[in-house]
Amino acid sequence: MSTRTACDEATEAFQTPHLIRLGPNLYGVAFTLMKMIPARFILHRALRNGLLGPGTVIVETTSGTFGLALAMQAAHLDRRLILVSDPVIDERLHRRLVDLGAVVDRVPETASTIVGGFQAARLARLAEIRSTLPDTFCPEQYANPDNPLSYARLAEQLLEDLGQVDCVVGPVGSGGSMCGTLTYVRSVLPECRAMGVDTQHSVLFGHPDGPRELRGLGMSLMPDNLDHTVFDDVHWCSAPAAYAATRQLHRRHALFMGPTSGAAYLVARWWSGRHPDALTVVILPDEGHRYLDTVYDDGWLSARGHLSTDLPAEPVPVSVPHEPAGPWTTYAWARRSHADVLCASRA
Amino acid sequence: MSVPRDLHPAGRTGIGYAPAHHGELLQGMFDDGTGTLRRALVTLPHPARGSRAVFHPSQQHLGVVGTPSLAKVRRAAARALLEFARHPATAKGGQIEITSDVPRGIGMGSSTSDVTATIRAVADYHGVSLSAEEVARLAVSAECASDSIMIDGVVLFAQRDAIVLETFGQRLPPMVVVGFDTEPGGVGVDTLAHRPAEYSGSEIAAFGVLRAALRRAVARGDVALLGRVATASARINQRFLPKPGLDKLIEECRVLGGTGLQVAHSGTIAGFLFDARRPGAPERALRAQARVVELGYAPTALIGAEPPAADALEIAG
Repeated sequence: MSTRTACDEATEAFQTPHLIRLGPNLYGVAFTLMKMIPARFILHRALRNGLLGPGTVIVETTSGTFGLALAMQAAHLDRRLILVSDPVIDERLHRRLVDLGAVVDRVPETASTIVGGFQAARLARLAEIRSTLPDTFCPEQYANPDNPLSYARLAEQLLEDLGQVDCVVGPVGSGGSMCGTLTYVRSVLPECRAMGVDTQHSVLFGHPDGPRELRGLGMSLMPDNLDHTVFDDVHWCSAPAAYAATRQLHRRHALFMGPTSGAAYLVARWWSGRHPDALTVVILPDEGHRYLDTVYDDGWLSARGHLSTDLPAEPVPVSVPHEPAGPWTTYAWARRSHADVLCASRA
Repeated sequence: MSVPRDLHPAGRTGIGYAPAHHGELLQGMFDDGTGTLRRALVTLPHPARGSRAVFHPSQQHLGVVGTPSLAKVRRAAARALLEFARHPATAKGGQIEITSDVPRGIGMGSSTSDVTATIRAVADYHGVSLSAEEVARLAVSAECASDSIMIDGVVLFAQRDAIVLETFGQRLPPMVVVGFDTEPGGVGVDTLAHRPAEYSGSEIAAFGVLRAALRRAVARGDVALLGRVATASARINQRFLPKPGLDKLIEECRVLGGTGLQVAHSGTIAGFLFDARRPGAPERALRAQARVVELGYAPTALIGAEPPAADALEIAG
């Protein structure tokens, strides 16, 4: 029987979320910084495998929370870190990264016009930086199989704390958290349902790439770590709907989370209400600090016409996944591959 | 090691007993808490069967009679005698007599049962009561890998290192196990000749999840979750020592109202698990046993079943 022990370092503490009851059959998995799970796991494994010597520079393309997690762990390990980011990186995040010793390299604003947008430009810049350094290690969160593997620890926590999990709802980015968590939860509970939450004009589940207002959700490039066959259902949630749900999560449950969490909460609350016998958990990946001046600012919301957004009561089911429509749509993905779904729906 | 309670007079014998088991609830590779991965298992005890060993001391060399795994028993006796070499009344050698009703070669722990009974018999002769950890260490030194039948409680036991990685609880929740041999009349499995499983990183990660689930299942007495853990462990083991028709057996178990299927990971036996606290459990177990025979398997055990009341029997019939 295990006993509670003190953490050796900050990043160890950040790996473990709080499980918080949000409804009779709904639990929130509330993280301060979920990306700490893959960041810590990948860097520790690289260290063990001799890929992270004292002079090795860690390089990664990210403009978000994965970069922060890497910077925290790199500070513990005393390694240099270069992050290639979008030009629009959040100023507070930027200050934290720099204070932790990371070098932040921003791609130019003009990169948004090329195919694949900033994400493609960041990858090109990353390759350029690596070619000039003798010894680098890139965690590659989008392709590294250690990313999904690292989420076995979340599955352990869910099984130990809850025992039965009938449905997991969570936002999808690299695919690591949802695919990893579901794979390992299903090692014990094979029928556990997976509901992926995406946003309009994200390529992850078939939409054509396009401008997205919602930060932290949706992708312009398809990550290798996204295993589409994990998902039973996909939901596309618009920025205003996600914002309103984020605020509701805060007001009702005092959980101060970012808008990807809000989007997932919107879906999970609806689904768990419709399936009162199914124990549902919703992954809430990070806190709201970066969104104080936006999602949590009524003036900002009002200026965009989002302040009076009523939460949609339920999603609109769509019969094809590749056409963005409405603030909240859903599609029965049915654990098929990306190719299978798109062939079937375009036939 | 405790202080000898009294010294046996010459001509006395030592007696030891050890129970059998019915395979495992979980077997795989686990973090020992320091980052080192160790092979470990959670044994499903079968207390109704076992081995009894009698140690007849002599100043001659060591011999073994009975029908046990001779080499391992002889080694166990020798190790145990070595342990007591400084004891004033120790014997140079002797004879081990084994009486066992544990079937051999199908994964019911006949070898560990013989070995443990032997170690206990030698200790008994010396008037010493060994701790479970000491017996485990001697057993592993005699047979390379042992099950955890000598240890009370539900433990994750590193079978090649004789280390308890975790104690889940004092006892398993009340359940009924309907056991059977999936390859009746087969040649059996030679535990030592069978190559240790080479688990993938993903399988090792899954074992961590199974361990966490089992921790909860034992703490909460959750036989449903425990059954799921056993089934998952059996599925992973298919890559290493496949049970013929495992998926069909898992489906049979579900239809029969069982919570899961456990197997001997280095044997041929399997067992349907039932929650003994659910109404109708004895009848379900009887039906399961009849079904096992119908499917052509040989029943090996009915563990934890209270005899059903007479009227219940009639209903089941």
